Amino acid sequence: MRRLLLAFAALAFSLTLSAQEPTGGVKGTIVNRNGRQPIEKARLVLLKGAEQVAETESAEDGTFQIQGLPDGMYTLSIVAPEFLDNTVQVTVNDGYVKNMFNLSMTGVNRVTELDDDSFAAFDMDDSGYNDNPTILFGSNDVFNNIAGYNFSAVRFRARGYSSESQDVYLAGVKLNDAVTGYSPFSLWSGLNEAMRSKESVSGAEVSDYGFGGYNGLTNIFGNASSVRKGLRGSVLTNNTLYRLRVMGSYATGPMDNGWSFAANVSARLGGNDWIDGVYYRSFAYYLAADKVFDKTHKLSFAFFATPGERGAQNAATQEVYDLMGDNMYNSNWGYQNGRVRNARVRKTHEPVTFLKYDFTPSDRFQASATVLYRFGKNGYTALDWYDAQDPRPDYYRNLPSYFLDPNPDMNRANYLKWAWANEVWSYSKYYPNLTHIDWDRLYNVNRTQADGRAKYIQEERHTDQQDFNVAATFKWRAAENITVTGGLNGRINRTEYYKVVADLLGGEYFLDIDNFADRDFASQPWKVQNDLNYFLANGSARKLGKGDKYGYDYLAQVRNIGGWVNGKFVFGNFSANVGGRLGYECFWRHGLMRKGLFPGYPSNDEMARQWAAAGITPSEESSSWASEKARFLTYAGKLGLSYVIGGKQRVYANVGYFNDAPKFNQVFLSPRTRNTMVDDVKPVRTFASDINWQYSGGGINVRATAYFTSILDQSKVMSAYDDLQNAFSNFAITNIDQRHMGIELGFKIPTYFVDNLFLQGVLALGSYEYTSNPLMTQTVDNSSEVVMKDVLVPYWKSTPYADGFVQKHYLPSTPQTAASLGLSYNINYWFIDFDVEYFGRSYLDMNPLYRTDYATAGPDNRITDEEIVYMTAQEMFKPAWLVNASVGKSWFIKRKYQLGFSLNAKNILNNTNVRTGGYEQTRLVDNTVSRERFYRFDPKYFYMSGFNYMLNIYFRF
Amino acid sequence: MKKLFIALSVAIVALSSCKSLKEEWDPVFTFGANEPAAAKLYAESDLKDLGFPGTFTTIRDLKSMYKPGGVAIRSNVWIKGQVISSDVNGNVYRELYIQDETGGIDVKIGKSSLYSEFRLGQWVYVNCNNLTLGAYNGMPQLGLEADSTTTNEYETSYIDVQAIIDEHVFRGAYADPVAPVVADESMIKAAISAGYTGELWGKLVTIKGFKYGKEIFALIYPNPNMPHKSGNPENRVFLSDSGTWGIDTWALSKNTYIDILQNSNAWDSAQVGSGSTRYGTILSSPYDFRDKLSEKVLTSFGADASMPYKQIMIKYATANYVSHYFKVGKTDVQVRTSGYARFADQKLDSRLLDGSGTCDITGILSIYNDAAQFTLVDDPSISVKVY
Repeated sequence: MRRLLLAFAALAFSLTLSAQEPTGGVKGTIVNRNGRQPIEKARLVLLKGAEQVAETESAEDGTFQIQGLPDGMYTLSIVAPEFLDNTVQVTVNDGYVKNMFNLSMTGVNRVTELDDDSFAAFDMDDSGYNDNPTILFGSNDVFNNIAGYNFSAVRFRARGYSSESQDVYLAGVKLNDAVTGYSPFSLWSGLNEAMRSKESVSGAEVSDYGFGGYNGLTNIFGNASSVRKGLRGSVLTNNTLYRLRVMGSYATGPMDNGWSFAANVSARLGGNDWIDGVYYRSFAYYLAADKVFDKTHKLSFAFFATPGERGAQNAATQEVYDLMGDNMYNSNWGYQNGRVRNARVRKTHEPVTFLKYDFTPSDRFQASATVLYRFGKNGYTALDWYDAQDPRPDYYRNLPSYFLDPNPDMNRANYLKWAWANEVWSYSKYYPNLTHIDWDRLYNVNRTQADGRAKYIQEERHTDQQDFNVAATFKWRAAENITVTGGLNGRINRTEYYKVVADLLGGEYFLDIDNFADRDFASQPWKVQNDLNYFLANGSARKLGKGDKYGYDYLAQVRNIGGWVNGKFVFGNFSANVGGRLGYECFWRHGLMRKGLFPGYPSNDEMARQWAAAGITPSEESSSWASEKARFLTYAGKLGLSYVIGGKQRVYANVGYFNDAPKFNQVFLSPRTRNTMVDDVKPVRTFASDINWQYSGGGINVRATAYFTSILDQSKVMSAYDDLQNAFSNFAITNIDQRHMGIELGFKIPTYFVDNLFLQGVLALGSYEYTSNPLMTQTVDNSSEVVMKDVLVPYWKSTPYADGFVQKHYLPSTPQTAASLGLSYNINYWFIDFDVEYFGRSYLDMNPLYRTDYATAGPDNRITDEEIVYMTAQEMFKPAWLVNASVGKSWFIKRKYQLGFSLNAKNILNNTNVRTGGYEQTRLVDNTVSRERFYRFDPKYFYMSGFNYMLNIYFRF
Repeated sequence: MKKLFIALSVAIVALSSCKSLKEEWDPVFTFGANEPAAAKLYAESDLKDLGFPGTFTTIRDLKSMYKPGGVAIRSNVWIKGQVISSDVNGNVYRELYIQDETGGIDVKIGKSSLYSEFRLGQWVYVNCNNLTLGAYNGMPQLGLEADSTTTNEYETSYIDVQAIIDEHVFRGAYADPVAPVVADESMIKAAISAGYTGELWGKLVTIKGFKYGKEIFALIYPNPNMPHKSGNPENRVFLSDSGTWGIDTWALSKNTYIDILQNSNAWDSAQVGSGSTRYGTILSSPYDFRDKLSEKVLTSFGADASMPYKQIMIKYATANYVSHYFKVGKTDVQVRTSGYARFADQKLDSRLLDGSGTCDITGILSIYNDAAQFTLVDDPSISVKVY
């Protein structure tokens, strides 16, 4: 009985308790992930299932508290202006107030507009060089966060690494170009909202999404539920690239039924204040949907593309810039019927679609698999001409220096002609037809041809990819202190390279013959055919109309497969990563057009008879069918060690070794004409290491790094038009070694004397130098002759001076010293940033020809110290100082809408003398009086634009 | 809202009126055809605005202004003529020949592919003021003043600055191609006697009844990268004096050059050197003459010095000029062709080679050191009629 009474009493007591207000809750502090400073007025919404159960704002010190919660699982949604939305799961147990401590948010104001648009499209024409800037992401890293945005103007490359070393993933799939390795940001340029959510690691760190290389890895989520919820619109204007961008997005966020939908559209239109002829007519669209099944399975689908066109900027010699009085002169455009037209326009429409499956059976294991497909068109227009004068206004024979030079050995001494040419370029506005492309003349020359055969056309060079990828990753917390990640990936890439007639410019047809071979082999018409099969079938070369393929047509076929695994082990304050990657890569060329110069051998008796009848001589090198396959076993290993000191400091180090396949475009000698590969192709071997110290606490955020990387056995092929050979000349260079070493420092610290005012800065001090003298093989497209075969390039890595001093040669087109120091102020949704930057030790891209004995010897075959010093020196750009400032503010309206703006002003001192890149022309002045030496052609440069601004006004709800 | 709209409209109008801003939108809003109008072809009545004095000087009268060393024209002299040259076949290079009833002249427009801009028969007007009338081995030429880079045999330099061309050369109406003047031996002799002002020079001419002289002339530079002026006999090989040296094609293309050297001994007796400085045949090497060649010259041959000249020539093979000798009556006329001509590898008709045939040749006749010389404009299958 007593027991019964006790039981009733207990029941009554518990009922009494349950009738009381719940005592559980959640509290914490909302902080900026970068710097850990508190974020005030962040809006926090607590959901139980789909039901909103509470809402509050963070206080001035970033703290919040929600009380009176029954036990259970909740979703806490955090929204703050200028930060990416954040959602966390909260479990309230036993009536306690759960302390979430610091809930960090990632700032967006700095990285919002950083994408492919941040870089002018540099048209390297047929120089043989490439321009592929890298975009430095990583908003959770103080160095990358500051350097990524501030240094983009000078095309800074972290640690001097090339674009292809930066791994860029989308939805877990590595999307670096299969043929070139270049990072693929242009695929989603203009879809800033859809692609905003991303995670990055830097250096040789291993990501959850891929093993990565030595230059960081960025994974862009790209699925519907990662797009910020709500309807957003923005209008942006800037004066450097395009005048206007309008963008809209809508995302549902995760809905009760498990679906998420998102859409993003944008248009970028207009020109700019600095580079004439550069313009955008670009659009972008993105549609995505996610569906969650049973909280364990999630399917994500997305489809997007950025169709449109973009005019490109060309480099020019300093002589031209000086004569024009404008370092922003662009020779790519001219007037057509009174309207501006650019000859070099990139036209793209490359949709990307993916289907991703996420499997999360427990909080200890998660896995995903993605199938991704990229397809569409990627064209780049250019002028083409047959047996007609060079239409480029700044062709060297049109410039004053061609007629008069103070050096008598140059044999240029006609003052009258110099005066005329100088008049034209100095008073260019009176001679627009001579200082810009004279489109009207091109039309009229074509119309002059009695037979309608166009002499000038605009071609469109295509690089059309069909890129099929599969990737799977998993993350398994095998024990409390052991996490294993890994994945498998495979890729089938078929890239078709060809060109079409884009515009006949008033002509009736263009003839499909090799313009350059035509000079040498006019009496053997079969030999000058671009499409020998057509010629044999029809007895004449094809008459081309608009849209017809011509010139060359081949496939780059790339296949790769691989897998990786990484283990992370935590022992107290010490943790270690160890991982490895193993793969196989294979690529080959498949010619779709049989070229007269390189017909190969007939494939059957009938063809042999036909060839014999036509007098066709078979060739060892072939332009058609499949080449040999280049096969590589690839592998890599990484080790990372980390030690946390006192909760705020971390010391960590990474070391990695990589054995990677070279890229297709680095191996084929002249892929436009034949299947021949560079001899003795080797894998690229890289050893990378870094050691880092990081401090994060009390509003202070510092990272200091020292790194050392050695890259061996690289190869590359440069194809440049050589008017001495009157043909495209190919320089295949092998055994290129380079070394990258230096230090990085990034910091953001409170000033203490003014609240919310921070001192921030970065320093990148590196030395990126060539450490080998490679071998060079030179061929020309209109002949099977090898001009030079495996010739040592003895002055590639350095210039020896007569006094014994040796000047090293450095990797080009990025400052090896870059520094920024500034102040950042945030209060009440205002942010104001100001910084001063310094860039130094940036070098001009070198061509191998100038570093050969052939070039230093000259026609007399005698190498002198003076010739070596002159011919092999590498130009270093003058250092530059820049001043930038940003200001922004956002307002919540009725607690529901958000209106804001950001205004970024760069290069406030209007410095228009900052060289950001350039290259040496692969040409020699050989017709000297003395016949004793050669001279270099003037190099070509790109300059950074002067004062520029970007104003973004946005509205969200 | 209304104020905002007005302000925006005003801003747009203001910005649109700015030329540079308007131009930056040109390519954005240009869709489809924007074809320019046809280029202006000048009529004589249009020339007044360009300073034309009202009457043309004939080409004969222009030539008569010539003085040895060249004459800088400093008066408002205009000539007109019809185009008779075309570089389409590659045998004319950086020259435009025009002729009127009184004569023809070589206008040295120093641009390639002139046929793309000047049709045969088209009228051309030339403002000669500030141009220079000169000669090349007796042949009249209109160009710019010579400069220190111009070699001695030329008295003019090329008009190769487009702005100067635009200022002096005006394209007129299209017309039918000019019919050639049919000349005989006496006319050629008369022209040679007249020298510089001979009426035939620079005109399109047909000469009938040629016999092939079975003789050629060519000057070869074994290494074209080396100095090869007359002061450098070690880099000169003459194919001359008698015979055709195995050349049976209209010109000496790179292919033919290599073919003869590699597959025949036709040039084996050719001497290296010129004038009285001779080093022996091309079968010997520069190294054989080290006692005669300066150290500098020998070094400049570098690794090639131990090769026979014949091998050096193969290594540095290039297209060359060659002159074939033809006879009309007792008068020699050279047909000079460029190895870059598209017809370079065409063989001479066998009837010419064996002496059984005669031919009529049409081309631009010029004078070269008191001898007549033909420049073929058309392919020999058209310009040379064999019978």
